Amino acid sequence: MKRWVSQAMLAVILIIGVIGCSGNNNNSGGSNGGAGDGGSGKPVELTFWGDWGGEGQKQFETMVDAFNKSQDRIRVKYVLQQDMITKFLTAATSGGAPDILFWDRWRTSLYAPKNVLHPLDDYMAKDGIAKDAFYEESIKELSYNDKLYGLPLTVDARALFYNKKLLDEAGVKPPTTWAELEDAAIKTTKWNGDKLEVAGFSLGDNGLFNMYLQQAGGTMLTEDGKTNFNNEQGKRVLSFWNKLLNEDKVYKVGFEQGLGEGTDAFVTGKLAMHYTGPWMLSTYKKYGKDLDFGIVPPPAGPNGGKGSVMGGFGLVIPEGAKHKEEAWEFIKWWTANKDNALLWAKTSLNMPGLKAALEDPFFKDDPFWQPFMETLEFAKIRPAHPGYSVMENDGLIPNLQLYQQGEQSLEDTLAKAQSQGDKLLADNAEVK
Amino acid sequence: MASIGKLNRHQAKMAYLFITPTMVLFLVFTIIPVVMALFLSFTNYDVVSRMDFVGVDNYKRLVDDSLFWQTFKNVFYYAIVFVPLNILISLLLGMLMNFKRPGVRLFRTMNYLPTLTSAVAAATVWIWLLHPEFGLVNGILSYFGVVGPAWLAQTETAMLSIILVTLWQSVGSNMIIYIAGLQGIPEYLYESAKLDGATAFDRFRYITWPQLRPTTFLVSTMSIIGALQLFDQAFVLTQGGPGNVTKTPVYLIYQQGFNQLQMGYASAQAFILALAILIFSFINMRINKSEESII
Repeated sequence: MKRWVSQAMLAVILIIGVIGCSGNNNNSGGSNGGAGDGGSGKPVELTFWGDWGGEGQKQFETMVDAFNKSQDRIRVKYVLQQDMITKFLTAATSGGAPDILFWDRWRTSLYAPKNVLHPLDDYMAKDGIAKDAFYEESIKELSYNDKLYGLPLTVDARALFYNKKLLDEAGVKPPTTWAELEDAAIKTTKWNGDKLEVAGFSLGDNGLFNMYLQQAGGTMLTEDGKTNFNNEQGKRVLSFWNKLLNEDKVYKVGFEQGLGEGTDAFVTGKLAMHYTGPWMLSTYKKYGKDLDFGIVPPPAGPNGGKGSVMGGFGLVIPEGAKHKEEAWEFIKWWTANKDNALLWAKTSLNMPGLKAALEDPFFKDDPFWQPFMETLEFAKIRPAHPGYSVMENDGLIPNLQLYQQGEQSLEDTLAKAQSQGDKLLADNAEVK
Repeated sequence: MASIGKLNRHQAKMAYLFITPTMVLFLVFTIIPVVMALFLSFTNYDVVSRMDFVGVDNYKRLVDDSLFWQTFKNVFYYAIVFVPLNILISLLLGMLMNFKRPGVRLFRTMNYLPTLTSAVAAATVWIWLLHPEFGLVNGILSYFGVVGPAWLAQTETAMLSIILVTLWQSVGSNMIIYIAGLQGIPEYLYESAKLDGATAFDRFRYITWPQLRPTTFLVSTMSIIGALQLFDQAFVLTQGGPGNVTKTPVYLIYQQGFNQLQMGYASAQAFILALAILIFSFINMRINKSEESII
């Protein structure tokens, strides 16, 4: 008898435990749904997820407040999600998806085929917004199979930052070609015995291979999604790197590692030139009170090829969003309206994806923004292949690092990067 | 007789009742996820849109995944250097800090401090210390006329640097475990050994070391598991570079699962890692058992 009692109790506790868990899920799901359902007359409440905290959060909230004040039908709320993509993955399946999502554009090729993002083409047609009002490459990055999944919020590309004082002392002008870049780098480099005191030009980021390859006249991938750098153009890039690093000795491997923000080698005058993007402008203006710097578009390759990689963010509507129409209103207001895009640009010091907003004197007449606008004219996005970033990080860059350290020959490097890269691309190609 | 049996039964019932909450949590948060992960490793689960059974495809793909095996080689190398050093240094520190001298508590605290810092914050500071031109380590080396390497950027020294940083952070807590173990050794063993004329080394060899075997087993098992699951320090210090020499299986599992949305494949990788941990813990157990029994 008594055995039955205790077993029954055990079963009850088990059941309570299980129900307790599932019950919580139901509750949270329900409350989310409830918060979203605005009755008639009450404004519709939208949730906007982003992973920018601190200054970025304030910038987002400035825009959200401005939108909320501009009309009384829709109320948007910014929610900071530190681990946004992981959160979004679970939300996309369990029904807690936000209405608007801040989106790192290169992820589109991985997520769009899985039907978790809502296409915007119908809205675009209805409201008469043309795709060519935005930077073409950024639109391309937000598209999959001829459908558009978001609008670009920011565009960026790397250009050459140079320290005016160091270049003047060496008597060189900001370079416009690889040859001039090499010359300027040699003349600005200072060694003290075995110690590198001032590096002429940074070769720390092997991820910039894509950019150099474009300048040398190549492309990262072929049309059919294979690597395309084990060729003459790839060789040109690597020999140029090798010359700068090992013959001209304008840099030392590991020189900039761990030097962030206030100790950044460029801020402290230990680096004469390097490639970086508009996101560093505010840092350099803030920390570098004694730093007099200029910016020029990336120098052209041996055959005059120009190249830079465009990146940036967009806004998308998840398929699980409850108020897609209203979310579209918000995205349209922010990205496709010239005044608002400009307000965003000035608030956050980012270049907006809307071309008309860049016509403003704020950008056109500023010597810091102007070179970036020139660069954006020819900058290309990273190839829209779902395995591209894996190929770059695990196949290409490791081999480039081994090459830089003289551990494998130029031919081996390109051959290995090709075979490993092709395998990673193939393994990660299938996303359906 | 019958009443004793009844009492036992009653106690057993109450015992089950008391462990039930813990067991439920264990079931929900450990057993079920493990079984689910095993199931997922045979599917093409991507979190958002699909979960079809694909048989052993994921495991077949693993066999050809040279990068995955490279990461295994990396953590094995790490474990082979890290685990013995970890035991040796914590044991030596433990014995040193076990002396009853004034101020010894202060030194214990100081040796334990690195353990309390967050792994990521500590690793960030170490990046500065190890900087090739302006770092403290190479600054000291240059006093002796040695040109230090670019510790974290060179293939030869990158893994070694990670080993040193993680050692610095883990010996503190293992030292505490060893001190506890040392204090559990009965004093009379040493006294009688001294009476029999045993030297200090003999006393260590025949009393301390065998008596500490359970402690050593604990420390070595935990550090083997930790070594094979190496991730945060390695990621902050080198991001897996240069040339993939510091990439670890956990890094790949995370990348495949959450960045590439191939949760099925990532689960398969995780199971191979779990299997490796099991095998090495088992070997470790056999090595610890094979020595002569305690006392």
